[in-house]
Amino acid sequence: MPKIASIDELKTIGEQLTAARSDDAILMTVCGGPGCQATRCHDVAAELRKELDSNGFNGSARLRVTGCHGFCEQGPIVVIDPSNIFYGQVKPADVKEIVDRTVRNGEVVERLLYTDPSTGKTVLTEDKIPFYKAQTPTLLSQNRRLDPWSMEDYLAIGGYTALAKVLSGMSPEEVISQIKASGLRGRGGGGFPTATKWAACRAAHGEEKYVICNADEGDPGAFMDRGILEGNPHAILEGMIIGAWAIGANKGYIYVRNEYPLAVEHAKEAISQAREYGFLGEDILGSGMNMDIQVARGGGAFVCGESTALMASLEGKVGEPRPKDVHTVEHGLWNRPTTLNNVETWANVPAIINNGAAWFSGMGTDNSKGTKILALTGEVKNTGLVEVAFGTSLRTVVEQIGGGGRDGRTTKAVQTGGPSGGCLPASMFDLPVDFDVLWEKGSMIGSGGLVVMDEKTCMVDVAKYFLKFLQDESCGKCVPCRIGVDRLLEIVTDITEGRGSSEQVELLKELGETVAETALCGLGKTAPNPVLSTLRYFPEEYEAHISEGRCPAGVCTELIEYSIDAVTCNGCGACLKACPSEAIQGRKNKLHTINLELCTKCGICLTSCNDNAIVVQ
Amino acid sequence: MHQYVDIVVDGSKLKGRKGETVLDAALRYGICIPHLCHMPTLSDIGACRLCIVEHIKNGRTKITTSCTLLVQEGMVIDANSQRVRGLRRNIAELLVTQAPNSRAIQDIALRCGVTEPRYKFRSDDCVLCGRCVRTCNEHYNAHAIGFVGRGRERQVEYPYREKPASCVMCKACVTLCPMSITPCDGPMKPGEGYFCGKCESLTQAPQYEPGDCTRCDLGEGFDCARHV
Repeated sequence: MPKIASIDELKTIGEQLTAARSDDAILMTVCGGPGCQATRCHDVAAELRKELDSNGFNGSARLRVTGCHGFCEQGPIVVIDPSNIFYGQVKPADVKEIVDRTVRNGEVVERLLYTDPSTGKTVLTEDKIPFYKAQTPTLLSQNRRLDPWSMEDYLAIGGYTALAKVLSGMSPEEVISQIKASGLRGRGGGGFPTATKWAACRAAHGEEKYVICNADEGDPGAFMDRGILEGNPHAILEGMIIGAWAIGANKGYIYVRNEYPLAVEHAKEAISQAREYGFLGEDILGSGMNMDIQVARGGGAFVCGESTALMASLEGKVGEPRPKDVHTVEHGLWNRPTTLNNVETWANVPAIINNGAAWFSGMGTDNSKGTKILALTGEVKNTGLVEVAFGTSLRTVVEQIGGGGRDGRTTKAVQTGGPSGGCLPASMFDLPVDFDVLWEKGSMIGSGGLVVMDEKTCMVDVAKYFLKFLQDESCGKCVPCRIGVDRLLEIVTDITEGRGSSEQVELLKELGETVAETALCGLGKTAPNPVLSTLRYFPEEYEAHISEGRCPAGVCTELIEYSIDAVTCNGCGACLKACPSEAIQGRKNKLHTINLELCTKCGICLTSCNDNAIVVQ
Repeated sequence: MHQYVDIVVDGSKLKGRKGETVLDAALRYGICIPHLCHMPTLSDIGACRLCIVEHIKNGRTKITTSCTLLVQEGMVIDANSQRVRGLRRNIAELLVTQAPNSRAIQDIALRCGVTEPRYKFRSDDCVLCGRCVRTCNEHYNAHAIGFVGRGRERQVEYPYREKPASCVMCKACVTLCPMSITPCDGPMKPGEGYFCGKCESLTQAPQYEPGDCTRCDLGEGFDCARHV
């Protein structure tokens, strides 16, 4: 492909590609997101390709492997357009039937359709599935319309037209004012107004300026950025080039964690394609703008998601944050003005330029505009990536989109924002997804992780888990984070192991607040949130651990005991075979018993028993 | 020629030199803000967080370390508010329970109001203030020691844990270490969880009165910024 030299040429090519794709051929879209890959979607795709080739569907049926569609629970997913038929949990063995019946004859394979658990009926098309219905698809939905390896796919859906619009006569100030009017705020967790950052960086003195895309996503259970970077890397590049134009930079970096090999690969490929087409390099689209972007791989430190630590890491230094009394927009990477935004923030930029600020600010609440991609995980029926407009209630996300608790259990809480966020109880599920509202309630939307918890989750144990994570991931530079979080963990561990006292609860609160106020960087300042929010909303669970020596959820091993219910046990011997410590005794068809001295409370008997005869107390 | 800006610290009007930190300006005027990792002529990293102050701006206060905050015209700082004292006390408590045998840290803890530490004593000794690392790197340009590891595992070490040729055993690192003052021999034996209060008796200087620094022995050994 020769370089696209002008804006008119881009327009012609875009129109040609769109026209070429609007024939009535059948399009089979296989989701190639991380969730579906884990369930071997590539085997399904390979089988589909083989089947299509051997049946001679040249041109009349196409196959496309795309980025994440979001509905990971149903993976591998195959969507057949134009009729929009949705097949979930497809196995390679199902492929022949799909091709024979649906592609050739237009029939539906009933057993592969999604069954709505609330009605028990099957749903034919993707847009009728409750999981998708309550969402506001703007950014994530682009994923299923393009192959991340194909620049042509991106151009066909209007790719790089926002860049063309900017370069064909918008001044940097106009771009910034558009972003300002849209109300876009940083999606990485801080929620800082993007336009303010850009304007400050534009005003900062410096010959050389930089734009950075922060793709060092590390929250447990979060994979929004991965979903976009793997599925739609060109949207990020386009956003970054527009941002660079606005602030006056001509060098950009995508800092992506090395644990995302596919994201690294897709970003690199997208960059080399963009160079080939002339969207990166010198004299972009004949406008005179020069710009290049590089991929930098992170070494796996959670703290490198913090902006100053990320820049230190990019410079080749130890990834440690520095005090932000001097802002990075003035003295950032190599001491030069730098604008750092999250993946999702950058990816939102082209659509804002194309559709206008009013379109974007029409979605959301007063202070949080647009949509947010959330990674819905935990004890919920439908896990996956969801995109909702700000202002959507947590209840809609958990119950309508997520389908409520698993196995009929009651949802107790939701943990938002990863280790920096907090736990909100089910009574607060009417709260909207909003930067400020959740922050006031002691949690945060963060980068968008949303872990649903039910009655089988111990909230003290949750606090312990996140403290352990943060203790491991703290860089160790400042005292409140290194020693403070360590002491918080020490106290919480005492509580979960039955050594807690009520004075310790007060100490937890006081120390938590001290760490939050005095830590050096964002990681430390938000580190006590999990413990503070669980203390605030679930004091009765701490109370049960401390004064009654009991773990209500049956999780904290020091406080529980396993036994076998004499009435329900039918002596099948399943638990006896499963027990790794040989702690279960009993003869066939006779009541079994647990030797508590040998029992390590691993819980394997609990899962092996078919009659629910194992009792945890 | 220095350029000066007017700042207010604890209600006193000070002339801050452009480019200096709030902590340096305050110390020059004898306003004693407790600090540990700060050393004159070394870069400030804001690691110990003891020198936190309230920065009052547009009616809102922000807690920040004074060693990394550069003076600006019209700045209003409260270095001794009840909130700051409470937070500083808690940080000093974390420090002293981590390294209970450092007399410098015991002294700081007592001056910050820690009397009965609520955590179990550990005897880690090193609190990673980084004075040694910075003097080696910045004063002597030897880069013989640095920080290794992350979080709890972070420690001061030689590169690849082997003494490099650039280390000439000058012991600059040792003299600047808060542990280098002879550890208190009496009451702080491992397992004993209380303070004797003797350290404080060595530094009975009235606080926050300009010019009242007694140039105490402890300050000298500990290279207190006011001693230089």
